[in-house]
Amino acid sequence: MALLSRRRLLVAGATTAASAAVVSGGYTLGHSERARAAETSGAEAFWGRHQAGITTAQQDRLHFAAFDLTTTDVDAVRTLLRKWTAAAATMTAGQMVGPAQTSDLAPPTDTGEADGLDPAHLTITFGFGASLFGNNGTDRFGLASRRPAPLIDMPAFAGDEIDPAVSDGDLCVQACSNDPLVAYHAVRNLARIARGTAQLRWSQQGFGRTSSTTPDQVTPRNLMGFKDGTNNLADTQAAHDAHLWVGRDDDPAWMADGSYLVVRRIRIHIEVWDRSSLADQEATVGRLKASGAPIGSRNEHDSIDLAAKGADGELLIPARAHARVANQIGNDIHILRRGYSFTDGIDEQTGQLDAGLFFLAYQRDPRTQFVPLQAQLATHDALNEYIQHVSSAMFAIPPGAAEGSYIGATLFG
Amino acid sequence: MNGRYSSGLRRSTRTLRWSAAAALVSVPVLVAGCGDDKPAATTTTLASASTAAAAGTTASTAAAAGTTATAAGGTTVTAATATVSADGVKTIEITLSDDGCEPRSIAATAGPTTFKITNDGSAAVTEFEVLSGTKILGEVENVIPGADRSFSLTLAAGSYTTKCPGGEKFEAGTLEVADAASGQAADKTARDAAVATYIAYVTSQADKLITVTDTFVAAVAKGDLDAARAQFAAARYPYEAIEPIAESFGDLDPAIDAREGDVAADTWGGFHRLEKAMWVDNSLTGMGTVADGLAANVKKLRTQIGTLTLEPAQIANGAVELLNEVSTSKITGEEDRYSHTDLSDFAGNLAGAKAAFEALKPLIATREASLVTDLEARFAAVQAALDAYKGTDPVFNGYKSFTDLTTADTRALSTVVDALAEPLSRVAALVLV
Repeated sequence: MALLSRRRLLVAGATTAASAAVVSGGYTLGHSERARAAETSGAEAFWGRHQAGITTAQQDRLHFAAFDLTTTDVDAVRTLLRKWTAAAATMTAGQMVGPAQTSDLAPPTDTGEADGLDPAHLTITFGFGASLFGNNGTDRFGLASRRPAPLIDMPAFAGDEIDPAVSDGDLCVQACSNDPLVAYHAVRNLARIARGTAQLRWSQQGFGRTSSTTPDQVTPRNLMGFKDGTNNLADTQAAHDAHLWVGRDDDPAWMADGSYLVVRRIRIHIEVWDRSSLADQEATVGRLKASGAPIGSRNEHDSIDLAAKGADGELLIPARAHARVANQIGNDIHILRRGYSFTDGIDEQTGQLDAGLFFLAYQRDPRTQFVPLQAQLATHDALNEYIQHVSSAMFAIPPGAAEGSYIGATLFG
Repeated sequence: MNGRYSSGLRRSTRTLRWSAAAALVSVPVLVAGCGDDKPAATTTTLASASTAAAAGTTASTAAAAGTTATAAGGTTVTAATATVSADGVKTIEITLSDDGCEPRSIAATAGPTTFKITNDGSAAVTEFEVLSGTKILGEVENVIPGADRSFSLTLAAGSYTTKCPGGEKFEAGTLEVADAASGQAADKTARDAAVATYIAYVTSQADKLITVTDTFVAAVAKGDLDAARAQFAAARYPYEAIEPIAESFGDLDPAIDAREGDVAADTWGGFHRLEKAMWVDNSLTGMGTVADGLAANVKKLRTQIGTLTLEPAQIANGAVELLNEVSTSKITGEEDRYSHTDLSDFAGNLAGAKAAFEALKPLIATREASLVTDLEARFAAVQAALDAYKGTDPVFNGYKSFTDLTTADTRALSTVVDALAEPLSRVAALVLV
């Protein structure tokens, strides 16, 4: 498939989404089949100043994977990143991982399950965990001095029940597509390529985006049935430069044009939520369930009036409502959310749904963005009654690569 | 206390929960069945699924009684009252025309109400909404000329507005809902009795809490580790039975029941601080002050309960909260992570929920008798499932250690708790009016 320029794709995407947004209400989004097809199919550019999969209009499906390196040879890591980059470039273009099969006696180079599928806007985004830069006092790759200061060890927040087995990792891969099989195929093939150098540590599939990364996308609903992420980071160059991308003058230089990714697997106590009254649900969120409007307002995008009081003199949006707490912090802190709903069967201990929000957020510096934001939410957000953070990770997302180079070249040379 | 959450959060959430329940009493409409493009039948189902109040009701087609009056300013308004069908569901008929929607002034009484909207040939006016302030409680759209559609609401007393966008002369109207009529006087007595019964229960448990806590604290003060361990679960039991009440009093719940990490380490006290001393540190040294603080706080709780006022809906929500506690922290063994006395807490939560149900039972019976039967059976099922883990070690207060349970055991317990909590969550709306 020929690679369209990124700009063209964005413009095309915006047009279809805008026309779709006029129609609202009901379960279906009102897209015509043709508009829907144009929106869900197509390829995203891989090469560029920034990695794709961050400001890209958010796809519907996610397969996220964290890897641990099994080698102690930095050259092997570099080679892996070169191979991963090449494979990602071909897969995002809708091509099978090459080279073409030459012998019937060898296993196929590509695992094959995505053969014939449209890439459906597949993006593959790579990141480096703190452990890459030193692990329990051992600096396996001689990278300790190059660890970015913003890539901190995640602090413990009130209420955290983090399972280390599904947290952290040396490397991460975020594969997003509108076709779940395409996203799965990407992670599977990257894991295959990594065998002997890195192994899967944990992975997570997500269905149903829970945020919009561009204003043209309809705000989706999370598993609580509420519209989520209404106030995401503005899709403007100025906002991206201020809050998302590591600046050219930021330290370290190898991270310029990169970003930092915070990952939190947030379990929702679905059964408990489902037996809460509508009034209680809305008071917890601070928004109306049906419209997504702030309590006291009519439309989703109406500005939140935090001072509004009802006839009884009580605040319309309660003091600890999620929307209030998030809005108060959100005046100062902006992050790009890119989360997905997940459901992973049932909790063996309770028989309840193991489901929730796989929270992904990109930012310029977690020390001044996610960490203070979550510190506030963890102690003040009424939603905590119904949720539990069970896994956590942070990754440095290096800048994109020019064709012929590879992701991570600024660090590994 | 479910210690995954910080004290600040916990306080606020519980306060919120209870105040949210209180708000329900003043918020006029509990459940709005509305659908943008859904057929009326679907709308009715949505509403009834939540309230049962209008479940399966076929709206009466009797015409609304209309009177004509002249309001100040000389505008003619039409007032209407709702007709009541045999099964108690009121129907209000609305007619759409190019002028707007009529009647423009509606008087009704609280309770389940069906709005039946007929379009009298207007292409311009095809929507009807009922609003409380700016919040749409119920609406129909796309009522095409000649068609009629309906939706149901459970109305509480208050002032509302109606709206039919596009109406040339009058696109807004009023809906005044009065308290349910004098026929409900007997119900008022029943509601007061239910509240009194439950408050008496809460008071008795708070009295008991003081007694058993004093015994526990005395053992701690003496440094008698074995005696203190044997009293721990017993002292917690009455607290667990009335925990939502304590949680409604702001700081008291975290002071009494915070788990490690819920509050700053230097302010951590209460039951779980002592639990850690007994089971992890194996020493009560220095715990005298903590124990005294606990004893003082349970007495403070008893004092505050003296001023407690409640609505039936709050009692119902409190019962559900108790089961949520079981569901999220007892069945997972998180609550008593050092002593593993979770099953005793579970029993306390269950007893408290059952007491709330017993107090509300007469109210539920007059509204949906079959729900009483259903809930009784489900309470019994949970009790039976829990009682399968009876034990004799006083440390566990009549039950086994949580560590004796397998994953299959906890899952079976969780399943019956969810099966009870789900229908129990319907009670608050049922006893609201």
